[in-house]
Amino acid sequence: INLNRVEMPKQSEHERRHNFDEVALGYTWELAKEEASRCIQCKKRPCQQGCPVNIDIPDFIAALQREDVEEAARILKRKTSLPGVCGRVCPQELQCENACTLNKKGAPVAIGRLERFIADWERTQGAPTMPEMAPSTGKKVAVVGSGPSGLTVASDLAILGHQVVLFEALHVAGGVLMYGIPQFRLPKEIVQREVQYVQSLGVDLRLNTVIGINYSLDELLRTDYDAVYLAPGAGLPKFLGVPGENLNMVYSANEFLTRTNLMKAYRYPEYATPIKMGKKVAVIGGGNVAMDAARCAVRLGAQEVYVIYRRTRAEMPARLEEVENAEEEGIEFHFLCNPTAFLSDGRNNVAAMELIRMKLTEPDESGRRRPVPIPGSEYILDVDTVVVSLGTSPNPLIPSTTPDLNVTRWGTVVTDERGRTSKARVWAGGDIVSGGATVISAMGEGRIAAASMHEFLSNGQKKIIPPSPATDDPKTL
Amino acid sequence: MYSIVEHEVLAPRVHRLRVQAPVVAEKAKPGQFVILIIDEKGERVPFTISDWDSEAGTVDFVFIEVGKTTQQLATMQPGDQLLSFIGPLGRPAEVGQFGHVVSVLSGYGIAAMVPILKALKDNGNTLTTIVQAPDQDRLFGQKPLEELSDTLILALGTQGDGMMESTTVAMRKLLNQHPKRRIDRVIAMCSLCLMRVLSEMTRPYAIKTMVHLTPVMVDGTGMCGACRLSVGRTNRFACVHGPEFDGHEVDGWEVLMARRCTYADESILQQGFQCRGCSQW
Ligand SMILES: Cc1cc2nc3c(=O)[nH]c(=O)nc-3n(C[C@H](O)[C@H](O)[C@H](O)COP(=O)(O)OP(=O)(O)OC[C@H]3O[C@@H](n4cnc5c(N)ncnc54)[C@H](O)[C@@H]3O)c2cc1C
Ligand SMILES: Cc1cc2nc3c(=O)[nH]c(=O)nc-3n(C[C@H](O)[C@H](O)[C@H](O)COP(=O)(O)OP(=O)(O)OC[C@H]3O[C@@H](n4cnc5c(N)ncnc54)[C@H](O)[C@@H]3O)c2cc1C
Ligand code: SF4
Ligand code: SF4
Ligand code: FES
Repeated sequence: INLNRVEMPKQSEHERRHNFDEVALGYTWELAKEEASRCIQCKKRPCQQGCPVNIDIPDFIAALQREDVEEAARILKRKTSLPGVCGRVCPQELQCENACTLNKKGAPVAIGRLERFIADWERTQGAPTMPEMAPSTGKKVAVVGSGPSGLTVASDLAILGHQVVLFEALHVAGGVLMYGIPQFRLPKEIVQREVQYVQSLGVDLRLNTVIGINYSLDELLRTDYDAVYLAPGAGLPKFLGVPGENLNMVYSANEFLTRTNLMKAYRYPEYATPIKMGKKVAVIGGGNVAMDAARCAVRLGAQEVYVIYRRTRAEMPARLEEVENAEEEGIEFHFLCNPTAFLSDGRNNVAAMELIRMKLTEPDESGRRRPVPIPGSEYILDVDTVVVSLGTSPNPLIPSTTPDLNVTRWGTVVTDERGRTSKARVWAGGDIVSGGATVISAMGEGRIAAASMHEFLSNGQKKIIPPSPATDDPKTL
Repeated sequence: MYSIVEHEVLAPRVHRLRVQAPVVAEKAKPGQFVILIIDEKGERVPFTISDWDSEAGTVDFVFIEVGKTTQQLATMQPGDQLLSFIGPLGRPAEVGQFGHVVSVLSGYGIAAMVPILKALKDNGNTLTTIVQAPDQDRLFGQKPLEELSDTLILALGTQGDGMMESTTVAMRKLLNQHPKRRIDRVIAMCSLCLMRVLSEMTRPYAIKTMVHLTPVMVDGTGMCGACRLSVGRTNRFACVHGPEFDGHEVDGWEVLMARRCTYADESILQQGFQCRGCSQW
């Protein structure tokens, strides 16, 4: 076996600090062939089991080995409608590549990079392969939210012959893929291409329409629609709740990233949305969102960028690849500390923050080591910009305007294993159900729900009222 | 796309636009706002709905030229298109049966308050309206206010502090007559500093004072947190919990004013913004 995993070319650290172009440049055909040749075509297909949407990994790699990229693309498209996205942002190291046989020797096949290669090849080599469309069923479905979960359900149901209307609150479709994940990690043209593909299947995309404001869920059910899929995501920003957190120049990651990515503030004044940026920027948090915010700050011209995280590097939830990228870009990590207050410059702009040092407890029964403050260890760090990146909670708008929709005490919508909610004819999936997970899981849940919805919609005139799920536990938190 | 169907210049730098947006018009209520984007490179900018016609599917708003987006809007003509027009956002204003309601308006509030006043009138309230403007030439929208108000007070004064003074003097006179001529509620849609001063004036009298707050917004649907402010010691988002708040409960006025002015140094045209005492100047 060949343990020389083929590296993917990247923009140099120095160069990429000054632009929003994609950092990873992707394999060439030569590199892709070389990497594909490392796959030993395991009979048991462990990699496939590691993928939340069960992509036929050995098969698409075999197609690459035969130099049939078109066939590889077809195999991919059977299980994912967003290969160009997943190949880039999936936490592969925890999923397919973690399960790969070659990972035992520490050099799994670079499945994600191959997936990305195939998607990019298809995108640049002409028209995407169109699926076979089922004849119209005459049923009409509303999908709420055009993130990865909503896009998946919309395309699956459209292919199955249902009429789909996709509602999106923002002026652009794509959800977090557009407003959260930055251009240098996921070019927006790729997302828009996927959106156009979904529209080409006949999905009616209605932007600028907020369900819960323009139409309530009940109105949708009462009027045109036979079924509804809810995928409004988890877009409510969390704050620390410490003094001074509202001072000027303290951003939530959502505002910071939305201005930068969705509104393209990095191209201000060509694009009208500005973003004010200081010299010393502190990003609070240790997840993907924090890495994205910190790396945007570097590119927006901050001189020093600190990531403040209350545990250690080992516990950081961010993808390793992104942590390494951030380190290469000169971002300074401050572990085992937590802000206790933000201090004003006297004019209500943030000028410094007070931090307290933390330590990790001994592992508890579940093996988790909790961070606890060390009394009396407070210190001051000068900063002029703060981005609070603690993650998000489920959007409350639809639950709050739909009294009979069961939610947990964390605000996530309760569903059964097929995505059915407590409300008849309503399914849900993605971050609104998980509380915040990954692109691929949001897609996977969509796929399952779409199958369940299709079954319901195909059941002739019989009106099936889905039973109300009993659990009150969010799947992940 | 959303077509502009009317453009009226109401006073120098003050414009009214009417936009074809049936989905917004269908659900609009007094005190709610829209967020629009002019074109692909535009900013998301909020405006209060000043009128609507759910049958014709149109929505009106009045704006003052202050910076890039509003200047660009000022050049747009009927037939031109807006990329995006989202609403009605925010909670509607409270328009119950209160008794004697005093309202204070300036700037675009002169037009944007009209739907609220109409609803208050319909609910049988007595209305006293104080309108603030620098001078007669720059006053607009007087007619509907005359029709709706039982008493209309014009508070004219020079830009800046003088203008604020003329309003507070008028308010002081009314408060001096309270409770003989009882005031049951005050509603203000004017500059942040004036709303703050008014809230302090009415506090000793315990007259409920509603203010219409306008922090900088991005999405307007509760996603970004840009519009957060402290009300009754809890963090609220003006775009979903407001924009109308109880002025006596707003506890972060200074922070709010600072945040509102984050981008004020970039392209500010409106002199009135540079108010005395504001931390940003
Ligand atoms: C900064 C950031 C970085 C991330 N990085 C990664 C990564 O590297 N890898 C990974 O796998 N995952 C990552 N994630 C997580 C991933 O993006 C999400 O799990 C995923 O996008 C969830 O998909 P969704 O379809 O459930 O919701 P979303 O993508 O949140 O989409 C929901 C959509 O619904 C719309 N909407 C909301 N309410 C309404 C309404 N009432 N009416 C109409 N429309 C509405 C929203 O505007 C939005 O467009 C990241 C998340 C963030 C924020
Ligand atoms: C709920 C709400 C309702 C409003 N209603 C009206 C109205 O009916 N008529 C009207 O003329 N104005 C209204 N405004 C203010 C209006 O949004 C700003 O005047 C407008 O954004 C200025 O944009 P600009 O590009 O022309 O100026 P800029 O040069 O961008 O900004 C000038 C000033 O406007 C404010 N501002 C800028 N961007 C925003 C933003 N995204 N959100 C809020 N404030 C901002 C800032 O204080 C800034 O300093 C409202 C604001 C809010 C929050
Ligand atoms: S979708 Fe994600 S987990 Fe599945 S094979 Fe592709 S990269 Fe791996
Ligand atoms: S586990 Fe790894 S080596 Fe085996 S088939 Fe999958 S990708 Fe190929
Ligand atoms: S404007 Fe974004 S939360 Fe209010």
